Amino acid sequence: MRAILPRAHLSRAWAVLVLGVLVLTAGLYANGGSLVDQLVLHRLTVVFFVVAITVGELFRLRLPSGREAAPLASASALGIVFLGQVDGEPTFDVAAGFVVLVVATGLLLAAVVRAAQGGAVRLEQVAARLVGVAVAAWLARAFAPNGRSLWSLEVDLAVSPWLVAIGMVAVAGVGIGVELVLSSAVRSERQRSPWLAALRDEFGEVAPLTSAVVASGPMVALMAPALGLLSLPAALFPLAITYVAVGHYVQNRVTYRQTIATLSHLTEHGGYTPTGHAERVADLSVRMGRVLGISDRELRDVEYAALLHDLGQISLVEPIPDGATVLAAPSDQRDIADEGARIIRHAEGLDVVADYVEAQTTPYRQVRELGEEVPMASRIIKVANAFDDLTGGREDPAEVRAANERIHLGLGYQYDPEVVEALAVATSDTTVGRVEEREPAAR
Amino acid sequence: MTTEAPPPEGGAARRVPDATNIYVGAVAAVGICLTAAAIRLDGIKFDPTFWVLLLLAMLAWWFGSVDIAAGRVRLSFTSIVMLAAMALVGPAGAGIVGMVMGPFETGRAPLRARVFNAGMFATMGVVGGAAYTAAGGVSGGTDPVGTWQVVLRIGIPVLVADVVQFAINVVLIAIVVRLAAGLSMRTQMGRILSSAGAAHLGYGVIAFIMVVLWGPADLGSASVFLILPPLLVAQWAYRQYAEEIKGHERALHVLVAAVEAKAPHLVGHSTRVAELSAFMAEHLGLRAQVVADVRVAGMLHDLGLTTLPTGLVRSTGVVGGRGLRGYPARGVRLLSGLSFLSGALDAIGRHRDAVTPGVPDGPELSVPALVVGLADEYDLLTEVGTPDGALVPRDDALALLRRTPAGREDLLRALEHALSRRAGVAS
Repeated sequence: MRAILPRAHLSRAWAVLVLGVLVLTAGLYANGGSLVDQLVLHRLTVVFFVVAITVGELFRLRLPSGREAAPLASASALGIVFLGQVDGEPTFDVAAGFVVLVVATGLLLAAVVRAAQGGAVRLEQVAARLVGVAVAAWLARAFAPNGRSLWSLEVDLAVSPWLVAIGMVAVAGVGIGVELVLSSAVRSERQRSPWLAALRDEFGEVAPLTSAVVASGPMVALMAPALGLLSLPAALFPLAITYVAVGHYVQNRVTYRQTIATLSHLTEHGGYTPTGHAERVADLSVRMGRVLGISDRELRDVEYAALLHDLGQISLVEPIPDGATVLAAPSDQRDIADEGARIIRHAEGLDVVADYVEAQTTPYRQVRELGEEVPMASRIIKVANAFDDLTGGREDPAEVRAANERIHLGLGYQYDPEVVEALAVATSDTTVGRVEEREPAAR
Repeated sequence: MTTEAPPPEGGAARRVPDATNIYVGAVAAVGICLTAAAIRLDGIKFDPTFWVLLLLAMLAWWFGSVDIAAGRVRLSFTSIVMLAAMALVGPAGAGIVGMVMGPFETGRAPLRARVFNAGMFATMGVVGGAAYTAAGGVSGGTDPVGTWQVVLRIGIPVLVADVVQFAINVVLIAIVVRLAAGLSMRTQMGRILSSAGAAHLGYGVIAFIMVVLWGPADLGSASVFLILPPLLVAQWAYRQYAEEIKGHERALHVLVAAVEAKAPHLVGHSTRVAELSAFMAEHLGLRAQVVADVRVAGMLHDLGLTTLPTGLVRSTGVVGGRGLRGYPARGVRLLSGLSFLSGALDAIGRHRDAVTPGVPDGPELSVPALVVGLADEYDLLTEVGTPDGALVPRDDALALLRRTPAGREDLLRALEHALSRRAGVAS
């Protein structure tokens, strides 16, 4: 197990981590004297929510990009942020700092369990979540523009509950928003992609889940006066359905990709292309795409096109040596690409992928001089393919350098300079362009 | 409702049986009478709660219900709205809500289905509402206080009402399907219970949350806005899921296209074999999952050819071709990583053994392998032919097949049945 501290040069990650520690310290400091009394008084409530957050954190959803989400934990955390009256328990009248401590306990417990199971925990991501919760707790319990905080309105029976509900949803939205901004900042730094692109992907991919979480958190607090602590599992139930539904969707996405990958194996089993070539080109293309700020949605088609870029070789009567198209005559390259695209077009819905495969052989010169439209995806695949043909998948620094140099010679004529730049960035470090929270497997 | 399957329509040409029409009319009449009686007995309050529920009833279909993988997963808003109405506005109100909800079904549901749905939903609303009250449920302003009171006076009654409405739903649907399509009631009820039973428990819990937020938590109709987002997101995810499944099936066609690029003389062959195999499997009474597996196996049985040298594949006829011996095993190796194809691998791997004269090596051949082998060989003989284009007439082909391990009487009958069914479909 490792709790992964960010590497030394990642300043944003360190900043977020420090921010998280500060928030935690402030919570401890503010509650210093009354902490034990509060814990004893609210022991049952605290245990309930800590368990919910811990369990929710352990049941994470791994989204198609590799990003992870823990909707049940997030909703539980938001639930305790707003918690007021609880039937059968003392009213949860605590400072924002106390809420932060409870949530931090749940998050850290889950981190310990994950670590014990051999998983990797990115502390700066945990810190980002904690800061988001702290902002929401502060807005709900301490921020009082007219001398009344949202929390005091909530326990005041004279105030219309649905006004309070609107306030809760807004605060929950801000809290989650802060978390997403921070975690995308950290991510963009690590994967070397533009922050705005990372932010857009972060919000885009988790937006549906987030809206469900933002509604579920307040639901816990709103039902608690009537249902007591039972309101926590009850309010999480609809979200659990969401969780299962998204899980199905993600799982199916995985098998779809396997099917596409099978297509890439056809040429490998036939000896037309070297084993693993298509997967490597796909991996490299996606990472380069992230460096270039291409959206997750488009990256999926980039990945599929990269997996299938050599499919056209399947009907060659004479295999080309080592399947290395970079060494083949330009007209042969074009024929192979056209044949591949023709085969892919048999499936409706993969037209974009076919277009990418078709255009992968067009030299960049034709974009520059003749104004021909070549999709960025195709330019990326062209470069990634050339790189893999030249290195043969070997990661020896000398070979990587030689391949980079050789591709540099084709700069502007064969290859798009911007894409070649992205190749240099992506091949400099294996973590570049990867979304996964866990470290890439050691090779 | 998970199962408001409108009575199956036989297309414009088929005359609607009279018994079905009478039944549909009776259901509608019962729904109207029950609702009228409930209004008479209980009276009805036209308060904001009622109007909001009525509005939800009209929108419930629009939110829709998604059906995934033959009814295994479903999420339907009509059930939730109906249950909430029973608890919030009582039997009379729920009857009216149901009557309004029925006809609003979206899509091209025929008039008869809309009338039937109106009657059925109204009946469910009134009887379910009465069950809610009988189980000790409270409604209309008197909110229980305390966790256990809420569970006892709202939670359990909602579940009782849930069971009652589901039971009415299942029975009324099973009867209409029996009348219109002649399916046995027991089969139909079993099918509905196994596919939608668990989901209905879920609707009960969601309706409970909605009622608690509405009444005891004093949120009123605003509760809808809290409970909808997670459900709509789940809905969205299932839509995406359904889309992906379609995309996935299309991706399998790319595999077929790859075979055809390699071996142009086999264009159309995989599709024909898939269809014939599936028809045969159905005729043999195999389970639905096995039929699906056989279809996929028929579709992908030649995939291994893609890994052989192009020249060899194009010059060698597949029928009895010696140079192409190992290709079924190669196909299996290609597909072995795909978990959803695991049921089809055996048939893909051994379909050639099924039609190679003599005793096959290894364990006994499975029925799917025999079916795919037979369909494949028949199509090769009669439609693809030898490399020089010579085709074998149908009867000669059948005689040839009789001499192979797959030449069992029942299988050959299934093949002939499948052939005539295909001819029927084509004309």
